Amino acid sequence: MTDVLRLEGISKRFGGVVAVEEFSLTQGRDAITGIIGPNGAGKTTVFNLATGVYPLDSGRVFFGDREITRLPPHRRTDLGIARTFQNIRLFRNLDVLDNLKVAHDMKVRYTLWEEMLRLPRVRREERKIHEQALHYLDYLQLTRYAEARPANLPYGIQRRLELARALMTEPRLLLLDEPAAGLNPQEVRTLMDTIRKVREDHRLSVIVVEHHMELIMNICSHIHVLDFGKKIAEGRPEEIKKNEAVLQAYLGDEG
Amino acid sequence: MFWLKVLEITSLYTILVLGIYLMTGLTGLFSLGQGGFVSIGAYTAAIAFVRFGFPFPLALVAAVAMGAVLGLLIGIPTLRLRRDYFLLVTFGFGEMIRAALLYLSQLTGGAMGMAGMPRRAGLPLILVSIAVITFITYSLKRSRFGRKCVAIRDDELAASIMGVNVFAQKIMVFVISSAITAYGGALYAFNILFIEPNLFNWLESGKLIIITFVGGLNSIAGVIAASAIYYSFGEFFRFIDVWRDVLLALVVILVIIFRPGGLFQGLELLPRRLKAQRKVR
Amino acid sequence: MNWNVLLQQLVNGLSLGGVYALMAVGFGLIFNVLKFSNFSHGAVVTLSAYFGFWVSRYVLSSFIPTLLATAVVGGFIAVGIERLIFRPIRRRGYPVTMLIVNSITAAMLVQQFFAVLLGADYYTYPEFIRETAIHLGSITVSKIYLLMLGISAAVLLGLSYVIRKTRIGIAIRAVSTDISTPSLMGVNVDFVVSVAFFFSGILGGVTGYLLGMSFSVDPFVGSLILKGIIAAIIGGMGSLGGGVIAGILLGAAESLLIAEIGAALTPIVIYAAIILLLLVRPQGIAGRITDVKA
Repeated sequence: MTDVLRLEGISKRFGGVVAVEEFSLTQGRDAITGIIGPNGAGKTTVFNLATGVYPLDSGRVFFGDREITRLPPHRRTDLGIARTFQNIRLFRNLDVLDNLKVAHDMKVRYTLWEEMLRLPRVRREERKIHEQALHYLDYLQLTRYAEARPANLPYGIQRRLELARALMTEPRLLLLDEPAAGLNPQEVRTLMDTIRKVREDHRLSVIVVEHHMELIMNICSHIHVLDFGKKIAEGRPEEIKKNEAVLQAYLGDEG
Repeated sequence: MFWLKVLEITSLYTILVLGIYLMTGLTGLFSLGQGGFVSIGAYTAAIAFVRFGFPFPLALVAAVAMGAVLGLLIGIPTLRLRRDYFLLVTFGFGEMIRAALLYLSQLTGGAMGMAGMPRRAGLPLILVSIAVITFITYSLKRSRFGRKCVAIRDDELAASIMGVNVFAQKIMVFVISSAITAYGGALYAFNILFIEPNLFNWLESGKLIIITFVGGLNSIAGVIAASAIYYSFGEFFRFIDVWRDVLLALVVILVIIFRPGGLFQGLELLPRRLKAQRKVR
Repeated sequence: MNWNVLLQQLVNGLSLGGVYALMAVGFGLIFNVLKFSNFSHGAVVTLSAYFGFWVSRYVLSSFIPTLLATAVVGGFIAVGIERLIFRPIRRRGYPVTMLIVNSITAAMLVQQFFAVLLGADYYTYPEFIRETAIHLGSITVSKIYLLMLGISAAVLLGLSYVIRKTRIGIAIRAVSTDISTPSLMGVNVDFVVSVAFFFSGILGGVTGYLLGMSFSVDPFVGSLILKGIIAAIIGGMGSLGGGVIAGILLGAAESLLIAEIGAALTPIVIYAAIILLLLVRPQGIAGRITDVKA
């Protein structure tokens, strides 16, 4: 059975700074994997490289059997990679429902001409997408925010919305970039349950980039540790907790 | 009748404003070269009719086709550029068209302009055109097309991650806008009956953008209203015609500072929508 | 091909290029600091041209003082625009597009206002230097063109020195890199922005004066700003040195092309060339592509 995602020795520099160096990762179908590391270690850059935001300097990316190294972001999403952002990037000028609908638009089935004339098929498809959006809002208990503007909503709600929007793309792989940032302990616990539930209900593979140790240790079965762009450790949570190199990276030189 | 004339002129220009609504209002693309497309539409239709004997409807079709094709040709190299660059390159395009029209004087009459078009674009045609264009614009805004445009305007990166083919969408918007604008130019030729290369310069193109902002980026009705007010104002008060632009500029500056959603802030004239808006407030 | 004529055109083109370079830098300065395209720079140029005319006709007609006065006034006008039109937008945290739109509007405001006020008359500057020419070898160079070239060079060199060596110059460069960090270091960002505008206004003032001097003063003089902006792009936005080079090249190219293929065809060729260049190299001559941080 092929892995969902495979990163082979990917590297990226920005000007003189090495952001990611020779990073490799294999993600299985039902796995929940974590990527941790101190600030600036390159974790978000790995996501950006995997989703095609930046071109690689070297290395290859595979999704299932297919090499996607040169594929632009929207094509990768079409294949089934979804992602949330560290700084929430919801569309400010669209209401919540529309925010979700955009993520599904690539699967909608009417043509531009039909759209211009607002033919019956357009109305049908729009109703379908409307219901789909409501479905995901309901699933994450966000229904009452349907017509609100994202900017007016509490931070925790916005984070859930990003998740709902990612789900609308009908992914096979979900990349979560610091989903717990800015959440209080109660919210973090809810988040953990939500991630588990989402993964089970949709048979997703999940990779989480995080700082929040409790979250990572609790839900991930496998963890990669980055420091200054290089992988310094990899393994199960118990192993990582005791790993010398990891401790040093986080705590600095401890004599 | 005076009023009818005012209505005609106002409607003609409103078509042009609508032409850029999808591009500038929804998608956030600024073009200072729309004048080029107006001229292309006007001259294509005029030349097709006067010099090549096309029947009038076919001349209109030719104008639209020309606008669309040129939109494609210009869009492909330039829509990958950043917003500022795009703005200036389109300015260059507008100037290029103007220079070309002056140069090809055999075909276009050069600086003397072109006349001899019969008055085929009267009020009924113009009004029907506005209605159709408004319908099309509104349909697009409401569905997938509009959502993608706004998403691109708000955050191109997030849009592409959500599956939007940003470049393709921009091309589509630009081509549609160019086609509509060219159509407006063609109507102009057959209504005003005289066209010349300096017809629609970059400042006029800039005005279209500004009116769109004043009307409100999220409101087609607002944009039409703003356009109607501005252009009819100029007709009613011919003697302060020149001050009109100064006034417009002042209004725009104030609107942008104090009411950045535009004067009509996202209001759309549909009963269902109005109710929803009152709720959100 | 008559080399003498060609060389002559080249020299003329260089002086025009100097003015374009001034405009490119005036525009590019604001682009670096506030990261937006300031179309109102054209208004500064126009206003300065008028002021220069007024001063030299009615107050004092010697060259250097009027030039200096115009430059300074240009600086203040730019700062005025910044305070009145751009700062309220920045304060309220609106997206950059609003700044651009308002800058276009301001340009339009000024242009229309003067068009109304002063009508279609145009004014000419008094003659500062007798229209004599210098002979360099086989070329005849108009003194005025040489003067323009000299002044442009002097101003640009002076600016370069200020940016590189003085404290305020360093502050400007710091703010260009990151608009929030310098304030944490005790730098008054608003003040630095105003100074940057002042410098760009000085450049605009000199530009307006030179344009007024070599052509004539009318409300549309500032529209030439657009050529300067194009020079800024070709040079690579964000690189002031590139803007200078591009401005000079643009001036030279224009001059040569006009001589060869005529004034009607020249704009077409130039704009087509620019579009092609940007296709191949979207960052311009000297700019760098920066990846957006996700």
